[in-house]
Amino acid sequence: MNKNGLVIRLAIIVIFAASAVGFLATQVFYRITYLNELSLSKDKIEQLHTTVSSTTSIATYLEDEELVTEVVNGLVSNDIVKSVEIKTKSLSVSSKQHEKAVDSIEFQLYSPFEAERSVGSLTITPDLLHIEKRAQEISFDNSLAIFIQASIVTIIIIIVAYTVITQPILTIERRLHNIVPGTNERVETPNHHNKSEIGSLVVDINSLLDKTENQLEQERNLRDEVERLSKHFRTLFEKSTSSIILTEPKGNILLYNEAFASLLKRLNLPLKKSYGPYLKELFLEQHQLNNLVEIAFGNEEIASGEFKLVNKATDEAVWVQTIVTSSIAEDYKEHYQITLHDISKRKLQIDKLDKKASTDELTKLLNRRGAEQKINSLIQSETQFALVLLDLNKFKPINDIYGHEAGDDILIHVASQLTKGLRHRDILSRWGGDEFIIVLPNLPQAELTEITLKIKEHIEAPLYIPAQNISLSVSASMGGTFFPDDQLTLKAIIENADKAMYWSKEKQRINDDHFFSLYQDLLKNMDKN
Amino acid sequence: MSMQRNFLIFLIFILMSMPTFAEEELVVVVNGNNPIEQMTRSEVIDLFMGKYVAFPDGNKAIAVDLTSEHKTKKIFYQRLVGRSLASINAYWSRIRFTGRAKPPIKKESKEGVVQYVATTKNAISYIPKSMLNEKLKVVYQLNE
Repeated sequence: MNKNGLVIRLAIIVIFAASAVGFLATQVFYRITYLNELSLSKDKIEQLHTTVSSTTSIATYLEDEELVTEVVNGLVSNDIVKSVEIKTKSLSVSSKQHEKAVDSIEFQLYSPFEAERSVGSLTITPDLLHIEKRAQEISFDNSLAIFIQASIVTIIIIIVAYTVITQPILTIERRLHNIVPGTNERVETPNHHNKSEIGSLVVDINSLLDKTENQLEQERNLRDEVERLSKHFRTLFEKSTSSIILTEPKGNILLYNEAFASLLKRLNLPLKKSYGPYLKELFLEQHQLNNLVEIAFGNEEIASGEFKLVNKATDEAVWVQTIVTSSIAEDYKEHYQITLHDISKRKLQIDKLDKKASTDELTKLLNRRGAEQKINSLIQSETQFALVLLDLNKFKPINDIYGHEAGDDILIHVASQLTKGLRHRDILSRWGGDEFIIVLPNLPQAELTEITLKIKEHIEAPLYIPAQNISLSVSASMGGTFFPDDQLTLKAIIENADKAMYWSKEKQRINDDHFFSLYQDLLKNMDKN
Repeated sequence: MSMQRNFLIFLIFILMSMPTFAEEELVVVVNGNNPIEQMTRSEVIDLFMGKYVAFPDGNKAIAVDLTSEHKTKKIFYQRLVGRSLASINAYWSRIRFTGRAKPPIKKESKEGVVQYVATTKNAISYIPKSMLNEKLKVVYQLNE
């Protein structure tokens, strides 16, 4: 049995209380019994005196020592009497160890024949020790009775407490112990406890179990819902073809999907814990990315742009549409969600299309559209350049005389010849028909004339046409202009070059050496006229 | 106190039921030659109940009683100590074996008593007043 159990506690308390009360009661009983016995002994002594009064009276009246001694001995043989003394005028008889004490009772003795005539006195001393002993005996009996009574009451209380309280509680406890929360199991009310405190305890426990079951049911449903949702989200996240990465603002990666891992593998890059803010280290144009994100976040917008990634696997350019979103989580921490959508293929296609659209099919030089784009970008970046417009002379007759194929051959020949004399960064294009434009970025103006001379020499090299079995040679007229010195827009620059070129053509009729003119010179010449 | 009252009631009862006894006057007498003149009731009691065997003046005393069938004896004890003869007999039988006291000597007749006292100097007894003679001396008068 549990040593802190209710029954044991109750038993201990009852036993202690019974012992304490028993002890006190015994003490009080003893005192009362003692006092009772004391007063009883006085009564008894008086009775004794009455019993022997006639004999005593006679003995003392006659002052007969033998008679008196007999009376004294008779009295002292009583166990409540300690000592006796009888005194007359001439006689004094006492029992052994007689000593007058406080408790001694003295009776006056009178003549049996004359009620008024005193003949002596009788002194009886009660035996206090005997009375005390008797009182002790009586109170011991009382204590024994109380002890037996207390023991019986204790046993009854323990049995009743065990059957009425502990047993039902133990039953409830065992039942409760085996109940799994959230199931429909309940505690039964113990017998005869429908209206007791234990009964209402069971009712409360069951209502608590009801609530728990409901709550657990709701939680289970909710959890299922969340699980289902999170499964969907995980699928979305994991199966996404775009890389999705969740980072802290400083760049520590919290979460990434398979697509990101395979992207890194494709780029032959190690998987690191951090690539800096917005995965900066992965990008080739880190500065632009930084600007983009800072501006977007400054305007509380989503940062979105197309950037090239570092590629250590191949030379292939890997382009990604990058979207950086800042979000505040429930715990008030800021997270960056970065999505990298691979657009390399599209970019490649666009590049190809762009290249196709910008290339002259015949000469494989830039066409007008391609050239315009390049020149515009130079203008935008404010790069100094010289622009030369070249127009072939007497090309139409070649077409007419030798056929278009020969014309085409001439154009291809001119194009390749032009390429020879130019630097890598120079732009060469077929502007249309027999017109070519050469752009020379960052060229010192003084060197232009010399370069045009080289160009003239190159293109005038004769071309052998096997079909016709002839060698053909073409000349050209050129006009040059400078950006930003002469004009600032493409259209105006081309017009300037065109004007300069036509001026060259006019002068060439007189002297073939004037195949090239600068727009600046044309202006000066016009001012003169 | 209550005993005394009971005793008083008892006495009144007896006096009323036996009016004939009251008529006989009794006196305690000694020999005419006895120097004693007067005795108290206690002194008389002490002599008849065996406490003393001497007169108050120290002379030896011989108490003389009647035998129990005499009414005079009954009256005498009744008047002297207020007790019946049965009670007096019980007294004597109680002290007969242990005590040293001796009961008075007994005479068969009142005349015998008169005769004895008249001839014995130390004798003391009781007689009806009517039987007094010159050889006897009254020392105590028993009132009703």
